[in-house]
Amino acid sequence: MPNTSPPIPPPTGPGSPQDVPPPAGSFPIDPSTLPPPIRDELQAPDPVAINTSAAELKDGLNRCPKCGSTEIKQKPGTDLLICLYCRNEWHGEGVEEAFGLGEGIDQLTGTVMASGARDIAADAASMMTFKCPGCGAEVTVNTANAMTARCHWCRHVFGVNEQVPNGAVPDAVLPFHIKKDDAVARIRQFVDKRQLFALKEFKEQFTPENVVAVYLPYMIVDGNVSADVAGHAEIETRRYESGSGDDKKTYYDADVYQVDRHVDFTVDDLPLESSAERGNLDTRTNTNNIINTILPFDTKNAVKWNASYLAGISSEKRDLDVEKLRPHLEDELLSIARAQVQKSVGRYDRGVRWEQEHLSVHGTRWVAMYLPVWLYSYHQPGPNGGMLHYIAVNGRTGKTMGSVPVQHWKLLAAALTVGTFLEVISLFFLRHSS
Amino acid sequence: MSHDGGMWLLAIGPAGAAGLYWGLYRYYRNTDKSHDFEHETAVEAKPITGSEKKVGEVKGTQETRIDGDNVAAYRKRVQRIQDNTS
Ligand SMILES: [Zn+2]
Ligand SMILES: [Zn+2]
Repeated sequence: MPNTSPPIPPPTGPGSPQDVPPPAGSFPIDPSTLPPPIRDELQAPDPVAINTSAAELKDGLNRCPKCGSTEIKQKPGTDLLICLYCRNEWHGEGVEEAFGLGEGIDQLTGTVMASGARDIAADAASMMTFKCPGCGAEVTVNTANAMTARCHWCRHVFGVNEQVPNGAVPDAVLPFHIKKDDAVARIRQFVDKRQLFALKEFKEQFTPENVVAVYLPYMIVDGNVSADVAGHAEIETRRYESGSGDDKKTYYDADVYQVDRHVDFTVDDLPLESSAERGNLDTRTNTNNIINTILPFDTKNAVKWNASYLAGISSEKRDLDVEKLRPHLEDELLSIARAQVQKSVGRYDRGVRWEQEHLSVHGTRWVAMYLPVWLYSYHQPGPNGGMLHYIAVNGRTGKTMGSVPVQHWKLLAAALTVGTFLEVISLFFLRHSS
Repeated sequence: MSHDGGMWLLAIGPAGAAGLYWGLYRYYRNTDKSHDFEHETAVEAKPITGSEKKVGEVKGTQETRIDGDNVAAYRKRVQRIQDNTS
């Protein structure tokens, strides 16, 4: 089956790249004809990959370390794996310790990628086939939406644990903590508080029990950067009033300053959506900002990739490479820099107008990770394919956010009613004061 | 009440209606929400450095803030100065 999907529009909206530079390696001129500094840059070694693949899991079978059974599931509400055969429990290896991901961010140079964050191979298929060592049958796993499958002959459970170049297999996974009952309760509570103006069809079809657990793909980025901003700022020197009665106006005098600021900083575990569709936060056309809003996650507790954590849970494949995400990252780093310098310009009581900004990215480290989300979705019919509304629950913290479609005429009627009421009161005051 | 009769009171109706509409719409749809990465990410910054120089004065303006104030609008990008590649 050809695996084609319509082209996805470039991401826009809050915190998203506005102009995307050409991908690395697409330079149209022979580098050897270029001046040395440019040539050096073009020919600099490719980003370093940390190998996070687990050799012992290459055959797709994840075995219980005690009895060798493949019937392994995550113990609900914990980060533990449990063998359904001998009830042995064990903890997946933390990526943070395994690869030293929390350390040395201020020493980062260049682009360091964990192996699961490497570029997606264009020709890689989504279907992976395993030969079952138990019975010899061929078992297929569709890595576009699942990471595990069961041999229907001998019931061996297969997981995609090998880091295939199709970008489907991340470096790490953060297991679910929030159980389904809890997620359902949170979604119900969220919607209960938004009943009055909710779309009638939405309320009629509301079944939070249909919530699905899904692992969404993210890049977790560490960065070592410097930023500069420059602009103008004002301090009030005098305030006076002129005129009388209702014509009385306040005037201000101010000193104008030229101001610049420099800040060196590191960021630890900044999460970026690595699915183009989910990363498009344009609220005019979708409600993906809902999924973005339930960030952040306790990514420090992520465990080394192990498909057993994904048994029975669907997943979404990453489709953005590091180079595609870089503009988005720089955008967010600039925003962080601007937030950082704000407290240093407090004395400008009439505000600051930043006019220029500059970012130097000294080093970044990228880790591909699956993060756990409970998703309840509702498709609202309408022009241009309608609107897909989400209510999302962070699978670790339980933080819940949602988009509930509104019945516009009801909302409008309520607003007009209240507006009319206020108007009547104001007319009453007017009549009795003149 | 003053001689012009406080005609501004007439604006209360339309303003209240519009405010209520948008407030409720946002409460339901949350279109204004996103991850507050500027404050929810672990950031370690060295002391901020910089300079300032008085370049002029403003006299008798009625504006309460500087024109184009964006000190809190972190995500509004301004002119980006790129690294010199030479
Ligand atoms: Zn066992
Ligand atoms: Zn088999």
